[in-house]
Amino acid sequence: MSKTVNSLNLILVTGRTILQGTKVEEKLTKHYEEYAAIVRMHPRDLAKLGLKSGDHVKVIGPGGEVIVKAQRGADVPEGIAFIPLGPWAECVVEPKTDSTGMPGFKGIPVKVVKTGEPITSLSKIYGYNGYPILNLGVSLDIEAKGEIKRYTDVVCPFCGSLCDSLIVNVYGNRIVKVVNACPLGMSKIMGIYENRVLEPRIRVNGELVKVALEEAIDRAAEILVNAKYPVLYGWASTSVETIRLGLELAEIVGGVFDHTATFCHGPTALGFHEIGMPKSTLGQIKNRADVIVYWGSNVTEAHPMHPSRYSFTSIGRFRKGRKDRKLIVIDVRKTGAARNADMFIQAEPGKDFELLVALRLLVQGKELEAPVIAGVPREKVVELAEILMSAKFGVMFVGVGLTMSGAKEKNFEELFRLLHDLNTISKWVVIPMRGHFNVTGADLVTIWITGYPYAVDFSRRYPRYQPGITSTADIFLREEADALLNIASDPLAHFPKKVAEKMLKVPIITIDPKWSLTAAFSEVVIPSAFVGIECPGTAYRMDDVPIRLKKIVEPPPGVLCDEEIVRMLLEKVKEKLGVKK
Amino acid sequence: MTQLLIKNGFVIDPLNNIHGEVVDIGVKDGKIVPPDDVDLRYAKVIDASGKLVVPGGVDVHTHVAGPKVSVGRLLMPNDHYKKGGRVVAIPGIKRSGTGIAVPSVTTIGYKYARMGWTMVMEAASPPLYTRHTHHELDDTPIVDKGVNLLLDSNWFILEYIEQKAQERVNAFIAWILEATKSYAVKLVDPGSAEAWSLGVATKPLDVDEVIPGTSVTPKDILVALANAVRDLKIPHPIHVHANMLGIPGNYVSTINTIKAVADIVNQRGLSIHLAHIQFNAYKGDSYATMTSGAEELAKLINTLTGVTFDMGQVVFMPTVTMTADAPWEYVLYHITKWKWAAGDVENETASGVVPYTFRRHIYTNVIQWGIGLELALLVKDASKVVISTDHPNAGPFTRYPQIIAWLMSKKARENEMKKLNKRALKRLALPAIDREYTFEEFVLTTRVAPAKIIGVEKFKGHLGVGADADIAIYDIDPRTYDPSRDYKKLVKAIKYAAYTIKGGEIVVKDGKIVKTIYGRTFYTKTRTDPKIMHEVLEDIKSKFNEWYTITFNNYTILEQELHKPYAITPV
Ligand SMILES: [Zn+2]
Repeated sequence: MSKTVNSLNLILVTGRTILQGTKVEEKLTKHYEEYAAIVRMHPRDLAKLGLKSGDHVKVIGPGGEVIVKAQRGADVPEGIAFIPLGPWAECVVEPKTDSTGMPGFKGIPVKVVKTGEPITSLSKIYGYNGYPILNLGVSLDIEAKGEIKRYTDVVCPFCGSLCDSLIVNVYGNRIVKVVNACPLGMSKIMGIYENRVLEPRIRVNGELVKVALEEAIDRAAEILVNAKYPVLYGWASTSVETIRLGLELAEIVGGVFDHTATFCHGPTALGFHEIGMPKSTLGQIKNRADVIVYWGSNVTEAHPMHPSRYSFTSIGRFRKGRKDRKLIVIDVRKTGAARNADMFIQAEPGKDFELLVALRLLVQGKELEAPVIAGVPREKVVELAEILMSAKFGVMFVGVGLTMSGAKEKNFEELFRLLHDLNTISKWVVIPMRGHFNVTGADLVTIWITGYPYAVDFSRRYPRYQPGITSTADIFLREEADALLNIASDPLAHFPKKVAEKMLKVPIITIDPKWSLTAAFSEVVIPSAFVGIECPGTAYRMDDVPIRLKKIVEPPPGVLCDEEIVRMLLEKVKEKLGVKK
Repeated sequence: MTQLLIKNGFVIDPLNNIHGEVVDIGVKDGKIVPPDDVDLRYAKVIDASGKLVVPGGVDVHTHVAGPKVSVGRLLMPNDHYKKGGRVVAIPGIKRSGTGIAVPSVTTIGYKYARMGWTMVMEAASPPLYTRHTHHELDDTPIVDKGVNLLLDSNWFILEYIEQKAQERVNAFIAWILEATKSYAVKLVDPGSAEAWSLGVATKPLDVDEVIPGTSVTPKDILVALANAVRDLKIPHPIHVHANMLGIPGNYVSTINTIKAVADIVNQRGLSIHLAHIQFNAYKGDSYATMTSGAEELAKLINTLTGVTFDMGQVVFMPTVTMTADAPWEYVLYHITKWKWAAGDVENETASGVVPYTFRRHIYTNVIQWGIGLELALLVKDASKVVISTDHPNAGPFTRYPQIIAWLMSKKARENEMKKLNKRALKRLALPAIDREYTFEEFVLTTRVAPAKIIGVEKFKGHLGVGADADIAIYDIDPRTYDPSRDYKKLVKAIKYAAYTIKGGEIVVKDGKIVKTIYGRTFYTKTRTDPKIMHEVLEDIKSKFNEWYTITFNNYTILEQELHKPYAITPV
């Protein structure tokens, strides 16, 4: 046994886990802390620090420090520290965006130190110093009684896979059973009764008090009309119909319209602007793909149904399941899919660009000189290139592992160039693995209305776009915004703490079905109904295929759909600005 | 609703035998009414004396909405930064927008309206993505619209053609047009998307070649779909982007395409509409030796009554090409070596998007420019011709005024030719052509012909009582003004209409948007043998779960998903 050290320099990777995903809407519960206030490390790294699973450590990074519980992670390579996405990770990540709009969430150097101090509480993270954060979420008690209805072809409003063959059984107005959904979708649909917001509230003398909807709308409109540079953020978990109205609202108040792509696949768009990519619908993969690559995407945890519906285990017209396909996983850690793969390439964090360049050289028929590329032996890279080149129909599913780390948008320029090269030899497409169920729709509506995908600034009454300047994180870091409209999102929990601290300084309007961290710090809270469960609406799947979501049950009394709320807000703003009808 | 009386305008309305005379026009409840029916106490009177009054323009082929248009937008942020495309919002009057070659939806609607156009047909929508196309069309202000549906590489149709089951092809088309709320049957390089999906489309597919992976030829598809359009009484004939597009020597394929379906005539006397014919009218065996096939094609079209085309006229500027012809875009990418995007659609079609700049000094580009104009001038009957740029492929639609000037003024052409590649001009017939379009021919090629091809000439493309009150008023007086000499005035007058009236509302005044309204979306609802329809639906459902990634029920677009659907039922 070698002797232990007091601190260790590691590379931080943040990401989604299934457990964190199922609890993502209940951040104020104790469970959430158990799933999210952890750092997973390789057993040897634990040993170096003389730690056992469950001991507390302090993680210090460019964004600050946080105390979390250390956990043994056999899938985490030596030298890496993995923290699930959430408030604890946000305390240490890099808030600066390198002019991309995307803070540094992966591949960040951190120091891990043994400590006996308690885990940093949410209250402390958000400056409440011990006082509990206000939690006004309530459980709905709806009896499973009455007419029995069975809905088929239900579309799951959780991730960008938009699985559309769910069957939902309803007794009266209570959902009692969901079939064909993954744990993430299941917990979202079954969980609509927990942690709900039922009454509109506005802040009066520091207290959030119940008011009539009209009053809350009026106050929200007042905030937006008085703001010089409001940011309207969120949108990826609501309908296209709502997003359209949101863009009009941003235009009329001269604010910034931004959505969660700003830190998931924003860099993909930036790469696309420069190079372009061949893409396809998921059915092409199901019917034809014989080589399937997941790059920087933890598919089994973030999109559990993706493999069987669209990918390596799917059964299509010409390809029948796993035996007809080669599966390649490229990641910094051995993910679930990696254990199933025909080939697993473990790349060093932040070195994807090198690997892409090497693959391009090989596809162009050139030689590799370096013996090791991005931590991968040359022979293995050559073998990978040969598989790519011999594909009949290949697909690259790319995740945030590629957008959030290292060269960010440059990764995508190189990836798209690789795809262009590969297409001279065989047939290849690329599909980004989109997270929120309608983040693709948010991109598309923004594109067709403004010409740009996200981070659109209307301060001059026409759309302008400059990620790194007009993107939410950067605007708040510069302290330029003076109001925040947050819809169907929880920015205080998902932006780096340094950004969240600035958000806390401006009046926040939150429109959301559930109580959230951001709601707790808002000036106006307007409850909304769940799109795809309590409201109809359209969403776009990760491959840009639009699907109509259904209404299954009635929303709680008095709670409206996002679409109606934003329409009311828009009308109120127009009224206040004296815009003629 | 608004009532209008348009007084003393110089009216050209060929469908009502008005070939240029002063006539008053009444408008009430969105329709054209006899002037006497207008109640002057409530009406707004527009003094149109000294102005040209014509029906609203109709675009038969333009890429304005849907997945590949948005891919084009995403590929070209540089296009949106430009000042010329910028629309500044005026709350309550107009929304903002961007873009020149691939504008945002608002800019599209406004710029069409400012030119006096009031109806546009999206040229090519993949069925699985048509919900997206409708979203964009719903957000496109002012104009009425409709969708051409891509059907040439559809697996079900290919199977039914292999089975020689025409009645199944018919039933399938009846179903899918209604399920996707689409208007017309579109073919793009028939069969090529299937070959592209197999990764074998390195060589373009000609009309008589067997499509890889199947036993059918593009010709079989043309015939089957033309038969279906005839049998189902679909108003619009098959709308065809012919095989071999962009390839030197392709005028022969175009002739073969026409001949394949010339005898299959729909109830309105039409066989085929050739999209952007310029791209399919090339002679020669390489780009270096490419010349115009316009004379040969014009000769054939002059002998046939059921063949129409739109020009696909090239204008010299940076633009973005976008088409379901994925193999062609891949070829073009290797010529331009800049950006390329593609999008395959399961079981249905594919697409490609490549930015491109047409340049005055490039030999091939000048030949292309000449071909479009030659075809429009060599085809005798202007009611077979529609002005188009295949927006944005050969240039944006905002350049129509310039194209109209080239057609109406030999001097305009000559002035342009001074700037063009001399070697190319020597190989063109255009410099020797003296024909100049009349004002009536301007109206035919921008209003009457497209309305008739689409099959909406009962209420579009004319100003008779009962027609939709879609009207353009231009600040030119054909009695005193000679466009042949002062063509610049013509360009300006059409670019900025004095008035555009859409559905009875004044939306443009003095070239400026004064009101934002939204038009209807036309779609076709046909009838077919219920027994065969049942069989076909059973067949579709039995394969759907294996072939597609959404369910059969979720595929169907409901009427309530569209803002203003308008079903056309053929009789
Ligand atoms: Zn076209």
